[in-house]
Amino acid sequence: MHLATLVAAESALLPSRIQMAFTLAYHIILVPLGVAFPTYTLLMNGIGILKKDPAAIRIARRWSVVMAVQFAVGAVTGTILSFEFGILWPKLMGRYGAALGLGFAIEGLAFFLEAIFIGVYLYGWTRLRPRTHFLLGMVLPPAGVLGTVSVLAANAFMNTPGGVTLGSSGQLVSVDVLGALFTRALGYEFWHFLIATYITAGFIVASIYAVAWLRGRRDHYQRLAFAVPFTIAALLTPVELVVGDLSARALVLDQPAKFAAMEVTWKTRSHNPEVIGGLLNSSGQVNFGISIPSFDSILIGTSPNTVAPGLTSVAAGARPTIAEANITHLAFDAMVGLGTAGVALMVWYFVVLLYRRRLPQSRWFYRAAALAGIGSYAAVESGWVTTEVGRQPWIVYNVMRVSDAVTSAPGAFVWSMLSVLIVVYATIAVIAVTLLLKLAGRWRREDAIEAPTAPEEGVPYGPRSESPKARQVRSS
Amino acid sequence: MNLTTALADLTAFVLLVTITAYSVAGGVDYGAGIWDILAGGGAQANRARALIDHAMAPVWEANNVWLVLAIVVCWTGFPLLFQSVFASLYPLFAFALLGLILRGAFFAFRHVEEGPGPQRRTGVVFGISSLLAPFFFAAALGAIASGRVAVGGPNVSIWQACISPMSISFGLVSLAATAFIGASFLVGDARRQGMPDMVNYFRRRAVVATVALIVMGSIALATIGFENPHLLAAMFTGLGAPFAIATMVLTPVVGFLHLRGIFHWFRLLSAGVVGSLVFAWGLAQSPYLLPGQLTIAQAGAPLGTEVLLLVVTLFVVVVILPSLGLLVYFDQRGVLESPEA
Repeated sequence: MHLATLVAAESALLPSRIQMAFTLAYHIILVPLGVAFPTYTLLMNGIGILKKDPAAIRIARRWSVVMAVQFAVGAVTGTILSFEFGILWPKLMGRYGAALGLGFAIEGLAFFLEAIFIGVYLYGWTRLRPRTHFLLGMVLPPAGVLGTVSVLAANAFMNTPGGVTLGSSGQLVSVDVLGALFTRALGYEFWHFLIATYITAGFIVASIYAVAWLRGRRDHYQRLAFAVPFTIAALLTPVELVVGDLSARALVLDQPAKFAAMEVTWKTRSHNPEVIGGLLNSSGQVNFGISIPSFDSILIGTSPNTVAPGLTSVAAGARPTIAEANITHLAFDAMVGLGTAGVALMVWYFVVLLYRRRLPQSRWFYRAAALAGIGSYAAVESGWVTTEVGRQPWIVYNVMRVSDAVTSAPGAFVWSMLSVLIVVYATIAVIAVTLLLKLAGRWRREDAIEAPTAPEEGVPYGPRSESPKARQVRSS
Repeated sequence: MNLTTALADLTAFVLLVTITAYSVAGGVDYGAGIWDILAGGGAQANRARALIDHAMAPVWEANNVWLVLAIVVCWTGFPLLFQSVFASLYPLFAFALLGLILRGAFFAFRHVEEGPGPQRRTGVVFGISSLLAPFFFAAALGAIASGRVAVGGPNVSIWQACISPMSISFGLVSLAATAFIGASFLVGDARRQGMPDMVNYFRRRAVVATVALIVMGSIALATIGFENPHLLAAMFTGLGAPFAIATMVLTPVVGFLHLRGIFHWFRLLSAGVVGSLVFAWGLAQSPYLLPGQLTIAQAGAPLGTEVLLLVVTLFVVVVILPSLGLLVYFDQRGVLESPEA
């Protein structure tokens, strides 16, 4: 009986944080494909129309099917997220929904446009005129950008709240819409994330064809499908490094505790070293890791005399704990390391492209390219961990704590919900991967017999794929 | 009445329309799932299942968006309502979500599985998940209407807030209504596909669902009279009255059309039944969002937020609805119909 009472009375804070982290980490996998993949698909479609290249059209057509599968999964996981704001964090929305919700309200519109036009594009290949079909698809890239900017407006509000007047007990008195949407962090968060989606989508798509190259499939179709997304993603990697650097430096002023956690700086000081790897211990020392003297200060302000903020500049209860600081730091290092590796891969690619006037032929290059997709995902997840864990203990920075926003539901309830979600999400992952593998297998067989004109079928999304009579004939 | 409260009223209306759109569009969809689980086995069931699958594919994604839109309008426009409802009724939403997510997953899974055997097995999960969402979402509305949700949390225990005669009866009405509108629309789909046996199959089911809806609706009225007599009075005297009466008149009309096999207006009228049902509840509750506890004016967001929601609404009317119209137009014209390989 005592145990039961204990379990029932346990705070829902820990399971709520785990559940939010789990469902967001899962959803964010689908985001780069949702935002940026349509652009690559349309680009390929455009190449096909302009150059009258049937291979490019075939690629675009198949990509649109993959796009639809991942959009279907993303739509479900995204809906779950919106309910979790109510189930897990009712007090956050109750207090700041009128400001935090603004971005989400706009995102709803973008989501609607995407849902409609992905359906039109996916099922319009056969009957619509190619140009009309292409132009209708062109709604998707701006809708993706609109969705990205609006969700990041909400996230930026949590990092650098603004545009609101708060009453004596922290309640919202008035909202300046533009001020609450365009808070300080939006500028850098938006560009940093938007570019990340294009890099990640480009590399993950190209990585499929890098593997195909390694397995000996190297015809025009494979080369085109590799080169277009890879080139764009590679070109964006140095841009991302610069934007990322600007974002990190903006944090010195906007969220000094987060910046200090990223750099595991204990005390505010000049000549601050850049620590790569390493773990902060409870007395403020860093164990392990490589320390580059004064380099953090130089990165912040070009001079070793630049003062870097330390964790202790913020009261102990208002900054990340030691464990949170270490997570933030390692995630940040992972992101920067992967970003730098991406730039190295870009250099390799363009050196070969410009000097040899052809795609690289080295197996090692394609091995690296095959890893770039997974690597980009690891970077996206790390970046997200950096910004979210680095903001702790705040849900809205310096205004509301995570522990003040959490549901008063019993911990056992949230633990149960979390367990069910893990099982269901794992099932969805298996289904989605099985479906994509089946499609890939079918496409390879089609290519083997060179009759690639059959429309795609068996897609769990959008308007009908075949008449029920036809299905009936097939299954009986 | 000042500008802020006028805009708050408008936002509340937009929220009601969004919930209605989800009830109608989602109802067609969930209803099809209910008939899927009730189809059983055999050649006829396989034909029914193929038709259901075919009819659902175009709409189930877009329907989800109405739900998301309702959520974001609620938490942005009426933050305190959102907090209070979720703090009081989270178990109901957890079950509804489970239904939502399983449904999406298993609809996809069917397309991976091949042959009627596995399709029927996954169809069972699919069907059960089709019951969860409409029941538990409507149960939440019933719990709100019963007055058990107070500002910031329930004024009774969580379980008493979630499980009451009204929440259960609202859930059952919702199941009957989705079965009703689902069968009705499937009659139309079967006609368009030229499957006369399926027309009769779903016509019979539409008649059964009509009876079920009338029975459940009467029970629900009794529970409202028992738990919240003010609301029952408002349903027949206030703004909601025309809609309450419309539902009571139109439901048997649709049943009659199906019984006699008169194929005019039945889809529009079925949508009218479900839409009026939601409006009857929503307008009877106004000006309260939480009966007796929280009015629209009290819960409304600050002016700036209301203005943005107005802009969002205009965008829906000017851009989204025509786009949806285009999708439906293409679909009806067969533009989106891929020929068999």
